[in-house]
Amino acid sequence: MKSKINGIVILALMVTAGCSSRSAVTAPEAGRSQAPSPKISSPVAQTVTSPTVLPTASPNVSVPSSPASSSGYGFDQWQNGPLGDVFFEFDSTVLTADAQSQLKQNAAWLDNNSANKALIEGHCDSRGTSEYNMALGERRASTAKEYLVRLGIASLRLETVSFGEERPFDSGKGENAWAKNRRAHFLMK
Amino acid sequence: MMFAYNFKTCFGMQFFRYIVAVVMIVLCFPLPLFAAEGGEYIAIRKEGSGKIALAINKLDTPVKDESRLAQRLDAIIHDGLDFTGLFTMISPPLNVKDNSNRVNFGALDSVGAAVYADGSVSNTSGTVILDMEVYDTAGAKLLLKKTYNGNQLQLRKIGYAFCADLVELLTGKKSIFGSKIVFVSNKTGFKEIYECDFDGHELRQLTNSHSISLTPALSPDGRYLAYTDFSSGRPALYIKNLSNGRLSTIGKSGISIDPGWRNSREVATTLSFEGDQEIYLIKADGAIARRLTFSKGIDLSPSFSPDGNKMAYVSDRNGLPQIFIEDLSSGQVNRLTFSGRYNTQPSWSPAGDKIAYTTWESGGEINIFVTGIDGSGLKQLTEQSGENESPSWSPDGRMIVFTSTRQGSKKMYIMGSTGENQRPLLPSEGEQMQPCWSLFCQ
Repeated sequence: MKSKINGIVILALMVTAGCSSRSAVTAPEAGRSQAPSPKISSPVAQTVTSPTVLPTASPNVSVPSSPASSSGYGFDQWQNGPLGDVFFEFDSTVLTADAQSQLKQNAAWLDNNSANKALIEGHCDSRGTSEYNMALGERRASTAKEYLVRLGIASLRLETVSFGEERPFDSGKGENAWAKNRRAHFLMK
Repeated sequence: MMFAYNFKTCFGMQFFRYIVAVVMIVLCFPLPLFAAEGGEYIAIRKEGSGKIALAINKLDTPVKDESRLAQRLDAIIHDGLDFTGLFTMISPPLNVKDNSNRVNFGALDSVGAAVYADGSVSNTSGTVILDMEVYDTAGAKLLLKKTYNGNQLQLRKIGYAFCADLVELLTGKKSIFGSKIVFVSNKTGFKEIYECDFDGHELRQLTNSHSISLTPALSPDGRYLAYTDFSSGRPALYIKNLSNGRLSTIGKSGISIDPGWRNSREVATTLSFEGDQEIYLIKADGAIARRLTFSKGIDLSPSFSPDGNKMAYVSDRNGLPQIFIEDLSSGQVNRLTFSGRYNTQPSWSPAGDKIAYTTWESGGEINIFVTGIDGSGLKQLTEQSGENESPSWSPDGRMIVFTSTRQGSKKMYIMGSTGENQRPLLPSEGEQMQPCWSLFCQ
């Protein structure tokens, strides 16, 4: 029963995830520190198949190597799609253990949803200089993509783009805010 | 190719702007005699001997009605010359002209003026005519006598034309009058590219992307504007022909960002389509001419020596970003910056001898430094004033425009090449960033 409900929740999440239209960047420059509104969907990802595709996270059941939780590390208030975001240390493009674990989850989902494509956005916090951050953002997105490709996801399914420090998630100051902006952000295409 | 820009090129160049009439500069007297005298004057003044003590008299107006016109030109000329930092402006004594309207050099001498300028302005059916004379007070010698004209909407250009002549006469070098600064501002809510005069006047908006436009750079001849634009959904380089508005792009995957012109036909930019962020040389039509960097990691922010043979740029090949110099003919690369752990945004002085750049300090400040091209003579120009970024040199190498958060949000500031007289350039809403000072004068 529980697995069925969780499956429906996941299904619902995937249907509502959608993606913001990225082909034309028209939204005014604004931090995203307000309550996130659901992203506008273009043609939404196909609805998923059977709920049993994704093993559930239940306290009484031992969790397999890629748990399908959609909360925690890669899923904050700015990420509610099926693929979780990954975060980076300051001025780094190295994938931490948490990041790798999230990417493995993402790879598992992509593996089971072979019709879907993703856009990976690289972002930086506002420190340092903006041109370098534009390049750094791209490297973050590429690093995440390469990891997924090495896990077997076809390169064609993964597009990358950099926003540098131009589209912060949290426009506050201090490490708490900065840490939220140093990320590779996943969107369904 | 040398794009060495000299006085003759500046004034021999024709420009056709479809919205602005051409300023006509009419010579009333043959120049050679006065050029020779100007040359003599320059020789007498030692290099680096400090500011020139200049007295400018209020402009005469044969017709009373033109006094407002005269006042406006007075202000344009006075403020323009003051802006350069070359002059100590001295008020002319009340008896600067004697009863026969001849210049009283003794009186000028006694107030310490080394150079004296006066003139008159008239308006004949919409054509403004400015007649100027410049004297060396010590020798009571006429150094320059010239007439400038244009229409009433071009007062600033007319005034600047005189200022340009005066500066070039007294320093032997090209002035900054007529040069432009392009920069990014978000005052409309979107980051767009703007242009203003070297002193902040005549602001105009150049892009209307309703997206994010960044890193503008004008070609040395002013014909092209290169910039990064997100309209396609990703950061892509656009090269806009400013006379007809036509856009070229490079059309490769990945990013194309942060251009720096090598000469008026070639611009270098960072592309990542081959898997790594490297700098490539691009023709103005978007075709790739050649790849310039070959090292793993980010290579970014090209800035060329005046002769186009050397390129300063940022590379993080050793970890954090540092500045390197590549010789384009031999391919040899040398590291320029060794102090400071994060050095970016290099800008090669048009005078050829110095490079400005920024260091991100461990405390969080960003400061502007200037170094000789061999790395010697390192000098810090800003301190304890927040984040100071994106230095760009004036065409004469005497001033630097940059952005600073010292008063809160990012705004453009101007300073002398050794950090003196730092002041805001342009009062305007919103943030201002990534200024680029043109090499040309209009």
